[in-house]
Amino acid sequence: MRYQDVIDISLGNLWRMKLRTLLTLLGVIIAIGAFVSMLSLGAGMQEQVSQQFEKLGLFFTIQVYPERDVDEEVSEDKPKSLLNDSALVRLSQLPGVQLAYPFDEYQTKTTINDTTIDVKAQPLSVSALHTKLFSRIETGRVFDSDSAKEVIVNKEFLDMLDIENADSILGTSIVVSIEVASFDSGLVHVFKSDGKLIWDRFKNIKFDSLANSEYRSRVLTRELGGAAGRFIDGYMNARIPVSDTLVITGVLHNSRGRSRTSSIIVPLATGRKFSAAGFSGDMTSILGGISSGSLFQASSDRITLEYSKVTLNIEPGVVHGPIRDSIKAMGFRSFSYAEEFEEIQTVFTYFNMGLAVMGMIALFVSSLGIVNTMLMSITERRREIGIMKSLGADESEIKVLFLVESGIIGTIGSLLGILLGWTVSRVISMVVQAYMKEQGADPIELFSLPLWLIGASIALGLAVSLIAGYLPAARAAKIDPVQALRYE
Amino acid sequence: MPSPVLKATDLCRTFQRGPQVIQAVKDVNLEIAKGEFAGLVGASGSGKSTLLNLLAGLDSPTSGEIKVNGTSLDSLTRKELSSYRANQIGMIFQTFNLLPHRTALENVEMALYFTGISKAERRKKSISALERLGLEDRLDHLPNSLSGGEQQRVAVARAVVKEPEIIFADEPTGNLDKDNAHQIVELLAELNRNNLTIVLVTHDENLAVKYADNIYRMDFGLLAANGGRIRE
Ligand SMILES: Nc1ncnc2c1ncn2[C@@H]1O[C@H](COP(=O)(O)OP(=O)(O)OP(=O)(O)O)[C@@H](O)[C@H]1O
Ligand SMILES: [Mg+2]
Repeated sequence: MRYQDVIDISLGNLWRMKLRTLLTLLGVIIAIGAFVSMLSLGAGMQEQVSQQFEKLGLFFTIQVYPERDVDEEVSEDKPKSLLNDSALVRLSQLPGVQLAYPFDEYQTKTTINDTTIDVKAQPLSVSALHTKLFSRIETGRVFDSDSAKEVIVNKEFLDMLDIENADSILGTSIVVSIEVASFDSGLVHVFKSDGKLIWDRFKNIKFDSLANSEYRSRVLTRELGGAAGRFIDGYMNARIPVSDTLVITGVLHNSRGRSRTSSIIVPLATGRKFSAAGFSGDMTSILGGISSGSLFQASSDRITLEYSKVTLNIEPGVVHGPIRDSIKAMGFRSFSYAEEFEEIQTVFTYFNMGLAVMGMIALFVSSLGIVNTMLMSITERRREIGIMKSLGADESEIKVLFLVESGIIGTIGSLLGILLGWTVSRVISMVVQAYMKEQGADPIELFSLPLWLIGASIALGLAVSLIAGYLPAARAAKIDPVQALRYE
Repeated sequence: MPSPVLKATDLCRTFQRGPQVIQAVKDVNLEIAKGEFAGLVGASGSGKSTLLNLLAGLDSPTSGEIKVNGTSLDSLTRKELSSYRANQIGMIFQTFNLLPHRTALENVEMALYFTGISKAERRKKSISALERLGLEDRLDHLPNSLSGGEQQRVAVARAVVKEPEIIFADEPTGNLDKDNAHQIVELLAELNRNNLTIVLVTHDENLAVKYADNIYRMDFGLLAANGGRIRE
């Protein structure tokens, strides 16, 4: 039998039983529709997450943090590794690392058009600004150089000032000032507060050696025994304002979560001025500095602080595992979004599987409809089958004829089901997006209909209908023509 | 005598109905020559239809052998047997057995679906077969809008359109009035004159006597001895 004839005959038979065909079809359409809309929810959410990751370049970053202090025992045995400038150099030299830049944040007072607000500032190199993590410049441009007298602000900053038009702020000068305590002023206070004894103590200190940091830290460790409180007190009270006038060159999108930025970003060298001047006014960083010993261990003249975080940019295609192992060996904690993403992926896989199972149940129910329809039509068409056999139809041809019928139901059902699923997801998406907008959130697209899902749905619909049609078709093929033709 | 186109040897067909064994065809031996018009007569229930279905390859014997042009049907694969029905034989039934939802033309065309010829040729042949039977203005009629005689002529067209060697007709006149009955048998006789082998099952002895070269009489599954050649 010719291929075209089989299709013609099958279509003709289905067309003749319009209502029954329609109802069976409806079962398949609804089942595939449910399957498609559920899985496109899964696919949409998965896509959403990976898009966010992709947009921020998170697949190519590793975050490095200092070891947690809670591991007291560890830190007693061996000294805690410091996430300082020398660690930064070593991190940047790890194979596969393109760029390493620290996260360093200061509390500043920033004045713009006579308004002064408290904002956090973060120094960043131009090359770091060119990474995806910071590339979402809404308007303007990045710094000319690491020592430019320029600043980039983020949307949060605009919100604080009630500025709506980001462009209007470009070119505006702001004064960023940070109240720092120079180390020496803190030192003076320690001694000053000791009242009368001050001169006795001074006698024991070799002043010309104070420039030597090792000596200075030894003195301090000794003196600090019970005087830490006084030191801090003095430190806090002996603030020296350091300020700089910077021009706003760009406005950055806000980002969320672990990748969020400080309100203002200053060029690296320009920002160093603040840290070189001493400590920021952040109490925790001082205490952290004291407890870790970093306060006194600086080998250079400049006292280096530990960074709370260092971001590594990894070359695309490089596996994160070995890099993270090296980081661990250096005594730091690390966090890789790419590896995190793999875990998210597994979660999504289970989620999708759950959705798929529900869709399959619907499909199973609809397959019962197909079985029923086909069995009914075989009973009705016994004589027709007998006639065809007497005309020379082979068993296999009869089987194919019936399989094609259920296959057509499966194919048309799948196609319309995909359309239905898509429509449903569009409607839900519109409602959700409208709701999100109303709530002031960025509307995100929950659904996605990737090509693989279309393909899978058609394949599944076809497979289910063929399986459902197989038993009736085999039964049709076995009909005895003599019996079928015997009676009217 | 030319070599037989159909040869049955010790043919038996039994049916089991509960505890009862029905011997519908018992030790039948017969030879039908090429171009013969064979009449198969006998009382109701004597096994005529059963024998015809065996010869047509629609049913298989319990024992015995059927040879068509020297080839045993038993030796054919299922597909070859289907092809035998599709290409070498045509069947006509008492109840016409037309597909009710297909037009006269489509019913005739259906016989060619299983012969592998092209769609265009199929159509051409079917139309000309219907024309030869005087049904040229009934091509698009559904069976229920045709008279009994017309329906049976469509069935004849369906049987002859594939240009078979043998036509098996099981009571083709059973549901027709006298005029139509004669017309149908006349058609078969005409086909027979063009060297087609005809096996006609009928109650009507007169019809058989009038048209058949040989009459074979069935009696309780047995083929009676007087199946001799009665006309030259
Ligand atoms: N499938 C079957 N199962 C059981 N018995 C059967 C079957 N087919 C035929 N028979 C029996 O075999 C016998 C012969 O039947 P068959 O149909 O061949 O008779 P027939 O000569 O064609 O009769 P009629 O002239 O009434 O058509 C009958 O007794 C019938 O009941
Ligand atoms: Mg009969």
